[in-house]
Amino acid sequence: MKTNKGAKEIFLDAGIYSGEAVKLAAFVFSDKADIRIVPGKNVFKISVRAENAERAAGEFLNEVLNQQCRIDLAKKNSKIAGIIVTKALLSAAGEK
Amino acid sequence: MAQKQAAKNNKSQLLLPQALWQKIGANYLLTNDSGHYAWLKEKDFALVTAGKMAEKDPLFAELAAKGFIRNRLDFNDLAAKWKKKNAYLYYGPGLHILVMTLRCGNKCLYCQSAAAGLGAKHTDMPLAVARKSVDLAFNSPNPGITIEFQGGEPLLNWEVLKNTVLYARKKARIAGKDLKLALVSNFSLMTVEKAEFLLKQEVSICTSLDGPKALHDKNRVSSSGSSYDDTIKWIKFFQARHDKQVPEYRVFKPSALLTVSRYSLSGHKEIIDEYVGMGLEDIFIRPLAPIGYAWRLWDKIGYDAKDFSIFYLKSLDYILKLNQRGVVIREKMASMMLDKIVNFRDPGYLDARCPCGAAIGQLAYNYNGDIYTCDEGRMVGWEGNDLFRIGNVFTDSYKKVMNSATTKVCVVSSNLEAQPVCARCAYKPYCGVCPVYNYETQGSLWGNMPANDRCGLFKGIFKALFMLLKNPEKAAILKKWVAK
Ligand code: SF4
Ligand code: SF4
Repeated sequence: MKTNKGAKEIFLDAGIYSGEAVKLAAFVFSDKADIRIVPGKNVFKISVRAENAERAAGEFLNEVLNQQCRIDLAKKNSKIAGIIVTKALLSAAGEK
Repeated sequence: MAQKQAAKNNKSQLLLPQALWQKIGANYLLTNDSGHYAWLKEKDFALVTAGKMAEKDPLFAELAAKGFIRNRLDFNDLAAKWKKKNAYLYYGPGLHILVMTLRCGNKCLYCQSAAAGLGAKHTDMPLAVARKSVDLAFNSPNPGITIEFQGGEPLLNWEVLKNTVLYARKKARIAGKDLKLALVSNFSLMTVEKAEFLLKQEVSICTSLDGPKALHDKNRVSSSGSSYDDTIKWIKFFQARHDKQVPEYRVFKPSALLTVSRYSLSGHKEIIDEYVGMGLEDIFIRPLAPIGYAWRLWDKIGYDAKDFSIFYLKSLDYILKLNQRGVVIREKMASMMLDKIVNFRDPGYLDARCPCGAAIGQLAYNYNGDIYTCDEGRMVGWEGNDLFRIGNVFTDSYKKVMNSATTKVCVVSSNLEAQPVCARCAYKPYCGVCPVYNYETQGSLWGNMPANDRCGLFKGIFKALFMLLKNPEKAAILKKWVAK
């Protein structure tokens, strides 16, 4: 992590984190910090601007990890997850 | 070669991937989706995961019977247990909360900003809205419907409430549905005449009791004297009527809800003793959630998850000590978790299910006919964010409400199979996440479990319950809580 005045710069390995995870995390953080994402070669350069940029950047990294795990899990568990959701929604709508 | 083959066969006995586990102290807790659990010593856990447990080992039979050995699965039994525990997946919303008014005479610490003053009559639910809400509730395919009258203080809108009770009873007779009616009231406006009507209509009565007089009155500030005095007077009245019973109708035991504020944390014994003294047999120790208006007051009344966990565990311990002395009192959250763990049963706890009860388990109808996923979703709406509003009784059909984007996203986001940490958590078969809580505290419906206080609290409760179940004497007491 490289510190800028009032902001924190983070570099994320694009081989581990997808653009989708980074963007979803940025969305979750939209009312907590200003997030700027610059995609580079195999890397995302991210600038986190907030009152406490150090802390916000750390939390943002946690959220990127959370989103990436969710995306990876969705690939693995989509069948069972889909069955549960479909069953719950159809039953509630009265369409057994 | 033959040996290699045998090893390969053993490996196929492996519990993976159908088991979830958690190391607690020196042992491993194993669970699976059907709801079975088993404790393993470290060496046995190593044997099982390496596929080296001998079939003659007594533990092997236990694990096989519980569905932890892959080539010994009794699919019919496991599926039946799963279905029983997840019975809610087969019905629509059973709980329908009608907010009869936002007015209230009390100024409780946790909802000062939510309750409207006594003059705000425009926040009373009109009869037309109440009837439309009941009509919509009866469109649920659920054969059992519970209508809960809430507020503000619902007795402030008595005529509409009374009419709605009669209307709902009539609808139930025509529809052939099992209807339960419930009232949540602070009793400040209760009269014998109102009580008689409610009793005859088999309306169950629930109030708030925060503990002894000083604590209750501090939390629940009444403009007309002591809110505690009203509460106690009417709990005693309804208790007496329950004990007497009459042949014409059933009289339910009154119940009370505890709200734990910062001021409660030092008084677990006094609070529980108060419940016991009132003849109440259940106490629901729930944390205050920083949702909606409570969030704004958090600095004054809130506490961190760790403090609540300590309070909860001390309370549980004290309740068990009372039970050992023959006193009947149960903790409600633990009872509901235990019902799943011990009986493979769905206790109807909408906040710890997969997916959670938002819209598909309950609906909250605001005084103006707006429909929310749940009362917690309505609280967020009160703060000006209508994310959890899923329709209005005048403009939207039941089907439209169930098909709304918000309903779907709540179902998807509270599905533990799609939650990274939950999907591998040993407590998953009994747990549930809350999209409203996640949204309010972490900024997204999915939340982020490693940093989620609600998850931390549930982990603490599950760990305590499983540890207690290891102790034969305590397990016998806990099993009695859910033996019905
Ligand atoms: S969103 Fe939360 S409060 Fe609402 S039903 Fe689900 S778990 Fe309960
Ligand atoms: S919310 Fe927490 S305790 Fe519950 S299943 Fe998820 S990770 Fe486990």
